[in-house]
Amino acid sequence: MQFLESILIALTSLKTNKLRSILTLIGVIIGVMTVIAVASIIAGMNRYVSDKISTMGSTTFIIDRVGIVMSDEEWWDAMKRKRLTLEDVEAIRENCQACEVVGARMFTLRKVKHKNQYLSDVLVMGGTANLHEISSMNVEHGRHVSEFEELHRRQVAFVGWEVADKLFPNLDPIGREVKVGGRDFKIVGVAEKKGSFLGQNQDNFVSIPVTTFLKVFGTRRNLDILVKSADLESMREAQDQARTILRLRRKVPQNKPDDFAIMTADTFMQLYRNFTSTAYLVMIGVSSIALVVGGIVIMNIMLVSVTQRTKEVGIRKAVGAKKRHIMWQFLVEAVTVALVGGIIGILMGTAIAKIVSATTPLPSAVELWSVVMGLLISSSVGIFFGIFPAMKAARLNPIEALRYE
Amino acid sequence: MLIQTEDLWKIYEVGAEKVNAVRGISLEVKKGEYLAIMGPSGSGKSTLMNLIGCLDTPSSGKYYLNGRLVSELTEDELAFIRNKEIGFVFQTFNLLPRASALHNVELPLIYNGTEPEERKRRARAALKMVDLEDRMTHKPNELSGGQRQRVALARALANNPSLILADEPTGNLDTATGAEIMALLGRLHEQGNTLLIVTHELDVARYANRIIHIRDGKIEREEKFDK
Repeated sequence: MQFLESILIALTSLKTNKLRSILTLIGVIIGVMTVIAVASIIAGMNRYVSDKISTMGSTTFIIDRVGIVMSDEEWWDAMKRKRLTLEDVEAIRENCQACEVVGARMFTLRKVKHKNQYLSDVLVMGGTANLHEISSMNVEHGRHVSEFEELHRRQVAFVGWEVADKLFPNLDPIGREVKVGGRDFKIVGVAEKKGSFLGQNQDNFVSIPVTTFLKVFGTRRNLDILVKSADLESMREAQDQARTILRLRRKVPQNKPDDFAIMTADTFMQLYRNFTSTAYLVMIGVSSIALVVGGIVIMNIMLVSVTQRTKEVGIRKAVGAKKRHIMWQFLVEAVTVALVGGIIGILMGTAIAKIVSATTPLPSAVELWSVVMGLLISSSVGIFFGIFPAMKAARLNPIEALRYE
Repeated sequence: MLIQTEDLWKIYEVGAEKVNAVRGISLEVKKGEYLAIMGPSGSGKSTLMNLIGCLDTPSSGKYYLNGRLVSELTEDELAFIRNKEIGFVFQTFNLLPRASALHNVELPLIYNGTEPEERKRRARAALKMVDLEDRMTHKPNELSGGQRQRVALARALANNPSLILADEPTGNLDTATGAEIMALLGRLHEQGNTLLIVTHELDVARYANRIIHIRDGKIEREEKFDK
């Protein structure tokens, strides 16, 4: 009864003074909203990214000249390094026992034409014929580029679903030609639709033999080497062997670090985690400031409420309320106020997460824990900042409180 | 003996000055008595009432209520005693403005943990005793002054206290309504309740069986009436 009554008093006073209520609650609302929105977006991305990165496979690694750079300096250093070549690929293929499949790929963005239809900024990828054994790329129609075609630098292409769909809306694209970089390529296969990943369209590509790529687009481009080891156990061994082979070929002195980078799924996962932990830190910063401000406002309102209801405290004490009864009453009221803010914050945070995922490629998922967290945080704010006013009320002298007008 | 005080003193410190509000009052009240404490303002009668009502503790002296020494209890223990033993009636009614008459009467029962069903039943019974059973859902501002004071009386009665302590119960009422309240108090006395009224009006004090006159924090004289 006491409990219910305190909740009702809190809700009534919030309802009767709307502007004051909004001002009272805004801090808590912003704080909780930030937590929910950021946590939801990150949770959505977590699922998505780990899903995507896991398709790379735990037995695969990528070697490239640059690696993951965090600063301009690193970038310029990396740019001074020698390029990786197809000869390097060949050397690894021959000398690395733990490497099961060794492939390579290069990229460029080009316009892709068919008659008067064209698509701009299509990802043109020159790859070894075995690439599909390393990174998944399923065939919808036709086939992948063959080793024979690679060896003979044939102008053939395996195209993404969207390229086929846009350039050949009502036709079977197999056997037809597209123009890339001024050359005609015969389509031998179409990939399965993959959708987009973090806003990047994955169906908008043309894959051609790496040898043809070098012939048409020149050698002054970065080459990625992709290696698949037989199993998890040989993964480390494969990396070590590939590293040794490359260091030898590139004449890296013993005391110098690699002039190339080896990246695994873990590397990407790590990178992603770094990013999300930054996002979490920002969230914690913004929400703590908002919550402290919100808490102080609640404390202020509660102090006003205690003063306005001094007489009430006196009456309650006269008829037998103990300190803890009064304390509880005001604490419940403060927590109720904070929880109302928390609930509004949860709703708004959820709405923001939904809006973000609807209007941007970022996915989102409102998780139960973040909702529970929002409720916990807001009630803690209520308790923390409500305790002082509640104690003040509980300590009022009954005679003076009764006399108060 | 319901009330027994021995050489009760209350000293307030106002700044550097010490004010002796109650100066050595020894007083005895039997169960079932109807007593009035009279005195002009500043006589110390309010302070005495606060002491007897367990709202305050004396600076020195002893106070036994219902056989229990209450002059040295802590604040929460006093709250317990007030809840169990004393029903207050104030000049300004002191009802919770936002709560219904019924809820106001329930208030003392809330703090001793009476079950909601039982609480409602007893609050209704108390309101019936003051002839307000048809006003239970009304809030104080929907009631007349006399009705408000009757709600306060019902609240005082709700917990079956040993003592009903009324501080100027007619002070905010017109003469006719005041007389009604005094009649009601008389009825409660006849039903066996112990009443202590603090007032400065002789007309009000006359309803009692015994009047104690206070002046300058001391008992000046005592009057007894046989009725």
